Amino acid sequence: MLKELNPLIHSQLRLAVMTLLLSVEEADFTYLKEKTDATAGNLSVQLDKLNNAGYIQVKKEFIGKKTRTSCKITELGKEALEEYIEALKDYLKL
Amino acid sequence: MVDNKFTEKDSIDLISQMLQQTKQNMKFGSGNILLYYGYPAVIIAIVVFILCQFSQNGIWSALWFLMFVPSIVIQIKERNNKPKVVTYMDKAINNTWRIVGSLFSLTVVVILIIGAVVGKSNFALMLPLCLLYSGIGISITGIITNVRVLIYTPLIAFVLAIYMLIALTDGDGATVIWHLYFGVSCLVMMVIPGHVLNKKSMEICSKN
Repeated sequence: MLKELNPLIHSQLRLAVMTLLLSVEEADFTYLKEKTDATAGNLSVQLDKLNNAGYIQVKKEFIGKKTRTSCKITELGKEALEEYIEALKDYLKL
Repeated sequence: MVDNKFTEKDSIDLISQMLQQTKQNMKFGSGNILLYYGYPAVIIAIVVFILCQFSQNGIWSALWFLMFVPSIVIQIKERNNKPKVVTYMDKAINNTWRIVGSLFSLTVVVILIIGAVVGKSNFALMLPLCLLYSGIGISITGIITNVRVLIYTPLIAFVLAIYMLIALTDGDGATVIWHLYFGVSCLVMMVIPGHVLNKKSMEICSKN
Protein backbone atom coordinates (compact mmCIF):
# COMPACT_ATOMS: atom_id res chain seq x y z
CA MET A 1 0.00 0.00 0.00
CA LEU A 2 1.25 3.45 -0.90
CA LYS A 3 2.24 5.69 1.97
CA GLU A 4 0.19 8.88 2.27
CA LEU A 5 1.94 12.03 1.09
CA ASN A 6 2.49 14.51 3.94
CA PRO A 7 -0.40 17.00 3.36
CA LEU A 8 1.58 19.82 4.93
CA ILE A 9 4.27 19.50 2.27
CA HIS A 10 2.08 18.34 -0.61
CA SER A 11 1.01 21.85 -1.52
CA GLN A 12 2.58 23.72 -4.40
CA LEU A 13 3.76 26.77 -2.49
CA ARG A 14 4.82 24.98 0.71
CA LEU A 15 6.77 22.39 -1.29
CA ALA A 16 8.48 25.15 -3.29
CA VAL A 17 9.47 26.94 -0.07
CA MET A 18 10.73 23.75 1.56
CA THR A 19 12.81 22.83 -1.52
CA LEU A 20 14.29 26.32 -1.80
CA LEU A 21 15.19 26.33 1.89
CA LEU A 22 16.71 22.86 1.64
CA SER A 23 19.31 24.05 -0.84
CA VAL A 24 20.32 27.24 0.98
CA GLU A 25 21.49 28.09 4.49
CA GLU A 26 18.97 30.92 4.93
CA ALA A 27 16.65 32.95 2.72
CA ASP A 28 14.62 36.08 3.35
CA PHE A 29 10.96 36.70 2.61
CA THR A 30 11.62 38.74 -0.57
CA TYR A 31 13.84 36.02 -2.02
CA LEU A 32 11.18 33.35 -1.42
CA LYS A 33 8.51 35.63 -2.85
CA GLU A 34 10.56 36.27 -6.01
CA LYS A 35 11.45 32.63 -6.58
CA THR A 36 7.98 31.22 -5.91
CA ASP A 37 6.12 34.05 -7.61
CA ALA A 38 3.59 34.02 -4.76
CA THR A 39 1.70 36.92 -3.24
CA ALA A 40 3.00 38.28 0.07
CA GLY A 41 -0.20 37.34 1.90
CA ASN A 42 -0.29 33.76 0.66
CA LEU A 43 3.40 33.23 1.29
CA SER A 44 3.07 34.62 4.79
CA VAL A 45 0.22 32.19 5.61
CA GLN A 46 2.15 29.18 4.25
CA LEU A 47 5.30 30.17 6.13
CA ASP A 48 3.27 30.33 9.35
CA LYS A 49 1.95 26.82 8.74
CA LEU A 50 5.43 25.43 8.13
CA ASN A 51 6.77 27.31 11.14
CA ASN A 52 3.99 25.98 13.40
CA ALA A 53 4.76 22.44 12.24
CA GLY A 54 8.40 22.99 13.19
CA TYR A 55 9.58 22.45 9.63
CA ILE A 56 11.12 25.90 9.27
CA GLN A 57 12.47 28.53 11.61
CA VAL A 58 11.30 32.10 11.01
CA LYS A 59 13.38 34.97 12.35
CA LYS A 60 12.15 38.57 12.36
CA GLU A 61 14.62 41.39 12.92
CA PHE A 62 15.11 45.09 12.32
CA ILE A 63 17.74 46.16 9.80
CA GLY A 64 17.88 49.92 10.25
CA LYS A 65 14.22 50.97 10.14
CA LYS A 66 13.04 48.05 8.03
CA THR A 67 11.92 44.64 9.24
CA ARG A 68 13.52 41.56 7.75
CA THR A 69 12.00 38.09 7.88
CA SER A 70 14.40 35.25 7.24
CA CYS A 71 13.65 31.54 7.08
CA LYS A 72 15.72 28.44 7.64
CA ILE A 73 14.75 24.78 7.29
CA THR A 74 14.96 22.74 10.53
CA GLU A 75 16.21 19.17 11.01
CA LEU A 76 12.56 18.09 11.41
CA GLY A 77 11.77 19.84 8.12
CA LYS A 78 14.64 18.10 6.34
CA GLU A 79 13.46 14.70 7.61
CA ALA A 80 9.85 15.43 6.59
CA LEU A 81 10.91 16.50 3.10
CA GLU A 82 13.11 13.41 2.77
CA GLU A 83 10.18 11.15 3.74
CA TYR A 84 7.92 13.05 1.32
CA ILE A 85 10.39 12.49 -1.55
CA GLU A 86 10.69 8.79 -0.66
CA ALA A 87 6.89 8.48 -0.74
CA LEU A 88 6.81 10.34 -4.07
CA LYS A 89 9.26 7.85 -5.55
CA ASP A 90 6.86 5.02 -4.60
CA TYR A 91 3.94 6.81 -6.25
CA LEU A 92 5.87 7.46 -9.44
CA LYS A 93 7.65 4.06 -9.28
CA LEU A 94 11.06 5.74 -9.58
CA MET B 1 1.77 30.24 -7.43
CA VAL B 2 -1.62 28.80 -6.54
CA ASP B 3 -2.72 25.48 -5.08
CA ASN B 4 -4.95 23.74 -7.58
CA LYS B 5 -4.83 20.10 -8.73
CA PHE B 6 -1.33 19.25 -7.69
CA THR B 7 -0.19 15.80 -8.77
CA GLU B 8 2.83 13.72 -7.75
CA LYS B 9 4.42 14.40 -11.14
CA ASP B 10 3.95 18.16 -10.59
CA SER B 11 5.68 17.71 -7.25
CA ILE B 12 8.81 16.24 -8.82
CA ASP B 13 8.85 18.94 -11.52
CA LEU B 14 8.50 21.67 -8.92
CA ILE B 15 11.32 20.23 -6.81
CA SER B 16 13.71 20.18 -9.81
CA GLN B 17 12.62 23.67 -10.86
CA MET B 18 13.24 25.10 -7.37
CA LEU B 19 16.62 23.36 -7.06
CA GLN B 20 17.60 24.85 -10.42
CA GLN B 21 16.57 28.34 -9.19
CA THR B 22 19.03 28.25 -6.28
CA LYS B 23 21.88 27.19 -8.57
CA GLN B 24 21.63 30.42 -10.58
CA ASN B 25 22.87 32.47 -7.70
CA MET B 26 25.78 34.42 -9.14
CA LYS B 27 25.27 38.05 -8.18
CA PHE B 28 26.11 41.11 -10.22
CA GLY B 29 29.49 42.40 -9.01
CA SER B 30 30.67 39.12 -7.49
CA GLY B 31 34.29 40.18 -7.84
CA ASN B 32 33.88 43.54 -6.09
CA ILE B 33 35.08 42.24 -2.74
CA LEU B 34 38.45 41.35 -4.32
CA LEU B 35 38.67 44.81 -5.87
CA TYR B 36 37.85 46.54 -2.56
CA TYR B 37 40.96 44.93 -1.04
CA GLY B 38 43.07 44.57 -4.20
CA TYR B 39 43.21 48.19 -5.36
CA PRO B 40 44.03 49.67 -1.91
CA ALA B 41 46.76 47.01 -1.50
CA VAL B 42 48.33 47.90 -4.86
CA ILE B 43 48.12 51.65 -4.18
CA ILE B 44 49.52 51.32 -0.64
CA ALA B 45 52.34 49.09 -1.94
CA ILE B 46 53.42 51.72 -4.48
CA VAL B 47 53.08 54.62 -2.00
CA VAL B 48 54.99 52.79 0.77
CA PHE B 49 57.70 51.74 -1.68
CA ILE B 50 58.20 55.29 -2.95
CA LEU B 51 58.16 56.84 0.55
CA CYS B 52 60.53 54.22 2.04
CA GLN B 53 62.85 54.36 -0.95
CA PHE B 54 63.23 58.15 -0.99
CA SER B 55 63.11 58.89 2.73
CA GLN B 56 65.16 55.81 3.70
CA ASN B 57 62.84 55.54 6.68
CA GLY B 58 60.97 52.26 7.30
CA ILE B 59 58.34 53.99 9.45
CA TRP B 60 56.27 54.52 6.29
CA SER B 61 55.58 50.76 6.31
CA ALA B 62 53.05 51.53 9.04
CA LEU B 63 50.77 52.75 6.21
CA TRP B 64 49.99 49.06 5.65
CA PHE B 65 47.66 49.30 8.67
CA LEU B 66 45.36 51.22 6.30
CA MET B 67 44.48 47.79 4.86
CA PHE B 68 42.14 47.36 7.81
CA VAL B 69 40.07 50.33 6.52
CA PRO B 70 38.32 48.46 3.64
CA SER B 71 37.39 45.69 6.08
CA ILE B 72 35.81 48.19 8.53
CA VAL B 73 33.99 50.04 5.70
CA ILE B 74 32.62 46.75 4.26
CA GLN B 75 31.44 45.59 7.69
CA ILE B 76 29.59 48.88 8.33
CA LYS B 77 28.06 48.76 4.84
CA GLU B 78 26.92 45.15 5.21
CA ARG B 79 25.35 45.72 8.63
CA ASN B 80 22.45 47.54 6.94
CA ASN B 81 22.43 45.45 3.80
CA LYS B 82 21.89 41.79 4.60
CA PRO B 83 21.81 39.40 1.62
CA LYS B 84 18.45 38.01 0.45
CA VAL B 85 19.78 34.50 0.53
CA VAL B 86 22.75 32.77 2.12
CA THR B 87 23.73 29.57 0.35
CA TYR B 88 25.89 26.81 1.88
CA MET B 89 28.61 28.03 -0.49
CA ASP B 90 28.33 31.59 0.89
CA LYS B 91 28.56 30.21 4.42
CA ALA B 92 31.72 28.21 3.61
CA ILE B 93 33.35 31.23 1.93
CA ASN B 94 32.37 33.61 4.76
CA ASN B 95 33.78 31.25 7.37
CA THR B 96 37.00 30.80 5.40
CA TRP B 97 37.50 34.57 5.28
CA ARG B 98 36.55 34.91 8.94
CA ILE B 99 39.47 32.60 9.77
CA VAL B 100 41.81 34.44 7.37
CA GLY B 101 40.73 37.81 8.83
CA SER B 102 41.31 36.54 12.37
CA LEU B 103 44.79 35.39 11.36
CA PHE B 104 45.68 38.91 10.15
CA SER B 105 44.55 40.40 13.47
CA LEU B 106 46.20 37.63 15.50
CA THR B 107 49.53 38.15 13.73
CA VAL B 108 49.48 41.89 14.51
CA VAL B 109 48.58 41.22 18.16
CA VAL B 110 51.26 38.54 18.61
CA ILE B 111 53.96 40.74 17.01
CA LEU B 112 52.92 43.65 19.27
CA ILE B 113 52.94 41.47 22.42
CA ILE B 114 56.34 39.95 21.57
CA GLY B 115 57.57 43.46 20.73
CA ALA B 116 56.41 44.73 24.12
CA VAL B 117 58.22 41.88 25.89
CA VAL B 118 61.45 42.08 23.87
CA GLY B 119 61.38 45.85 23.56
CA LYS B 120 61.32 46.02 19.74
CA SER B 121 58.52 45.19 17.28
CA ASN B 122 59.53 43.60 14.00
CA PHE B 123 56.79 43.67 11.38
CA ALA B 124 58.99 42.18 8.62
CA LEU B 125 57.06 38.90 8.93
CA MET B 126 53.75 40.61 8.16
CA LEU B 127 54.29 40.82 4.38
CA PRO B 128 55.04 37.12 3.71
CA LEU B 129 52.43 35.95 6.23
CA CYS B 130 49.73 38.22 4.76
CA LEU B 131 50.55 36.94 1.28
CA LEU B 132 50.16 33.37 2.51
CA TYR B 133 46.92 34.07 4.43
CA SER B 134 45.23 35.95 1.60
CA GLY B 135 46.54 33.52 -1.04
CA ILE B 136 45.15 30.54 0.87
CA GLY B 137 41.81 32.35 1.34
CA ILE B 138 41.54 33.18 -2.37
CA SER B 139 42.52 29.65 -3.45
CA ILE B 140 39.94 28.05 -1.13
CA THR B 141 37.31 30.51 -2.43
CA GLY B 142 38.24 29.45 -5.97
CA ILE B 143 37.90 25.77 -5.10
CA ILE B 144 34.50 26.27 -3.42
CA THR B 145 33.12 28.41 -6.24
CA ASN B 146 34.87 26.41 -8.96
CA VAL B 147 36.47 29.52 -10.46
CA ARG B 148 39.87 28.48 -11.80
CA VAL B 149 41.34 31.98 -12.03
CA LEU B 150 41.01 32.24 -8.24
CA ILE B 151 42.63 28.87 -7.63
CA TYR B 152 45.84 29.48 -9.54
CA THR B 153 46.57 33.24 -9.41
CA PRO B 154 47.64 33.10 -5.71
CA LEU B 155 50.61 30.95 -6.81
CA ILE B 156 52.65 34.11 -7.34
CA ALA B 157 51.87 35.17 -3.76
CA PHE B 158 52.94 31.78 -2.42
CA VAL B 159 56.23 31.83 -4.34
CA LEU B 160 57.05 35.39 -3.23
CA ALA B 161 56.04 34.65 0.39
CA ILE B 162 58.35 31.59 0.46
CA TYR B 163 61.16 33.69 -1.04
CA MET B 164 60.63 36.35 1.67
CA LEU B 165 60.61 33.76 4.45
CA ILE B 166 63.82 32.19 3.12
CA ALA B 167 65.44 35.64 3.00
CA LEU B 168 64.36 36.29 6.60
CA THR B 169 65.63 32.97 7.92
CA ASP B 170 68.93 33.44 6.05
CA GLY B 171 69.34 36.70 7.94
CA ASP B 172 69.16 38.91 4.84
CA GLY B 173 66.25 40.86 6.29
CA ALA B 174 63.39 42.64 4.51
CA THR B 175 64.08 45.05 1.66
CA VAL B 176 62.04 47.97 0.32
CA ILE B 177 61.27 46.11 -2.90
CA TRP B 178 59.15 43.63 -0.90
CA HIS B 179 56.39 46.22 -0.82
CA LEU B 180 56.31 46.16 -4.60
CA TYR B 181 56.31 42.35 -4.61
CA PHE B 182 53.30 42.48 -2.34
CA GLY B 183 51.58 44.96 -4.65
CA VAL B 184 52.25 42.81 -7.73
CA SER B 185 50.88 39.72 -5.91
CA CYS B 186 47.69 41.60 -5.00
CA LEU B 187 47.33 42.83 -8.56
CA VAL B 188 47.60 39.26 -9.90
CA MET B 189 45.55 37.43 -7.26
CA MET B 190 42.91 40.06 -6.44
CA VAL B 191 42.51 42.83 -9.03
CA ILE B 192 42.69 40.71 -12.18
CA PRO B 193 40.42 37.87 -10.86
CA GLY B 194 38.07 40.53 -9.44
CA HIS B 195 37.53 41.99 -12.90
CA VAL B 196 37.26 38.50 -14.46
CA LEU B 197 34.57 37.56 -11.91
CA ASN B 198 32.66 40.80 -12.48
CA LYS B 199 32.69 40.23 -16.24
CA LYS B 200 31.48 36.64 -15.73
CA SER B 201 28.71 37.69 -13.33
CA MET B 202 27.59 40.46 -15.69
CA GLU B 203 27.27 37.93 -18.53
CA ILE B 204 25.32 35.47 -16.33
CA CYS B 205 23.03 38.15 -14.87
CA SER B 206 22.26 39.64 -18.30
CA LYS B 207 21.27 36.14 -19.57
CA ASN B 208 18.86 35.53 -16.64
